[in-house]
Amino acid sequence: MVGLTLRALVPRGYLFTVVGIAVGVAGLVALGAMAERITRFIEGGDRFVLGQISVAGEGMGMGTGFTAGGLLRAAKIAEIARVPGVAAVQPQVMLPLRTTTSQFLTLTQELVLGLDLTVPMPNRHYQELAVRAGRFLRPGDRGVVVLGSDFAASHKLGVGASLPVGGLTLTVVGVLDKTLTAPDRFAIVSIADARDLWLRRDPLLVQVFSSRPGDETNRLGRDDLNSGVAVAWSAGEDPDDVARRIQRAVTGVNVTIPSEVSRLLRESTAFFSALLFGIGVLGLVIGGLSLSNTVTAAVFERIGEFGIKRALGATDLHLLGEVLGEALGVSLSGGVAGAGLALAIGWLVDTRVVREGQQVFVFSPRLLAFALAFSVILGALAALYATLRIVRLSPAEAIRRGA
Amino acid sequence: MLARARGLVKSYRGADGRPVPVLAGVDLEAKAGEFLAIVGASGSGKSTLLNLLGLLEPADAGEVWFGEERVSHLSRRAQARVRGASIGYVFQSFLLISRMTALENVLLAGRYTGRDRRVATREAMALMERLGVAPRKDHYPPQLSGGEQQRVAYCRAVLNAAPLVLADEPTGSLDDDHARVILAELRGLCRERGTSVILVTHRPEAAAEADRVLRLRGGRFEAA
Repeated sequence: MVGLTLRALVPRGYLFTVVGIAVGVAGLVALGAMAERITRFIEGGDRFVLGQISVAGEGMGMGTGFTAGGLLRAAKIAEIARVPGVAAVQPQVMLPLRTTTSQFLTLTQELVLGLDLTVPMPNRHYQELAVRAGRFLRPGDRGVVVLGSDFAASHKLGVGASLPVGGLTLTVVGVLDKTLTAPDRFAIVSIADARDLWLRRDPLLVQVFSSRPGDETNRLGRDDLNSGVAVAWSAGEDPDDVARRIQRAVTGVNVTIPSEVSRLLRESTAFFSALLFGIGVLGLVIGGLSLSNTVTAAVFERIGEFGIKRALGATDLHLLGEVLGEALGVSLSGGVAGAGLALAIGWLVDTRVVREGQQVFVFSPRLLAFALAFSVILGALAALYATLRIVRLSPAEAIRRGA
Repeated sequence: MLARARGLVKSYRGADGRPVPVLAGVDLEAKAGEFLAIVGASGSGKSTLLNLLGLLEPADAGEVWFGEERVSHLSRRAQARVRGASIGYVFQSFLLISRMTALENVLLAGRYTGRDRRVATREAMALMERLGVAPRKDHYPPQLSGGEQQRVAYCRAVLNAAPLVLADEPTGSLDDDHARVILAELRGLCRERGTSVILVTHRPEAAAEADRVLRLRGGRFEAA
């Protein structure tokens, strides 16, 4: 059955050509899928920063967060909430999971994100994070955690498992769907648990927190422990305008302007964009050369056959039509086989590395469609080029060279 | 007069880049139904002459006529039409396409001349039956003996009932029995269909079948 199907798809004598094309297309698709993976990550980050206004306290940094800055106290959050155009303000605490290792590699950074769930998720592009297993956090939850998919995979955790962090033991109640961007490596907890964790981990903060007894104005409360807030704007408002309004109205805060952060994000990911472009070009060149070389060689191999056919009355157009028809079939078969090969390689590699919480390939429909169109068009052009070279020869010369 | 050539000149580029003359002004006439044999030493230009007559390559100078049409000066497309409809070729090395079956090879002759495939298939099968290769119709050339391959090639050459058949050493790779079959067929073509056959051969017994024998020497014909 399989033999019959293959025979119907692949003209006799073209098996090695199809294999050659498949190898080229597999290279193209695999490199493209790696580039797609990086694109998704960058696009996801861009969508995130454009979906909310992030505000942190003034300073060099507490914990970590979407915005560089210091502690953002409750009084400042109340001020922000009163700024016209602000629809909602969600206090957040963001901490590195591991405090003993450098976190400069943001692609692999694992974070603990504490959310105040009494406020609806303010990010317009991530108002809901889809859950693959279990459930998302609810207001009032304590001692529980929802994990990003890569986080769960790398720590081999599922619903019901325990996650010890900084002296706390959290129970996993949910695992998120893959987003291919930052939340995949998050451990999301209630803001109260995040504050506990923060206090347990940062001795200096404990001293500050308990200092100045009697100085009620400057004394820190638990509600003051925020690494930032996510701000939602009212319908019809321009987010950049609202962000600038907060800058003007509230002193002592670092406010991100969404469009500026987006630009900065793109600048900071310029290396990845360049890498992506390089991978894409490399894929096109390697795949394209392999494919066109294979098709051209296959046509030139049949030079004697073309001579015979011309002796039997075939015109240039007859031969072009025949070769193009066969080239389309062969290129498409090779393209499909190559895409299948790349999918198989991707599956094997991802199955291996997903245990480490990584995904190397993203085979998007647009990538597969492009690879097939690329192989068919390039295959046809290569066949056309080779045929035009051959039909310039006399039939006798073609027969001689074919012999 | 079915086919005629006037003053055909052809040379090839030698290894040192200089032209090596092969034909130095050849004149030839073939009547309908005539069996014409061309003989000569190796390298005398017999195959080159056949290629020029069959429009398989252009002459440096001279003309080829079919009836009243000067076919040597037609466009590539028009020459392809003449080759498909008016000329059948039998080559020493058979020149079958190895990835096509015996029947597909025979039918190739009808593909480019717009023939109805069913009619062509019926005629091809009848021809193959007569030459004893019908049972091998689904075999590929490498699965056939030399004699079978030549019979298949012969079927392809005569499928379109071309008025001119050019045979270049058609028995050169065959044993005596198979050679006799092919020669008898060519002879029969002239008698029964009025086909003009021009045969290039070095076999005396093959030339003996011919109505007329021409000998090439020094790029020209001499009296045989």
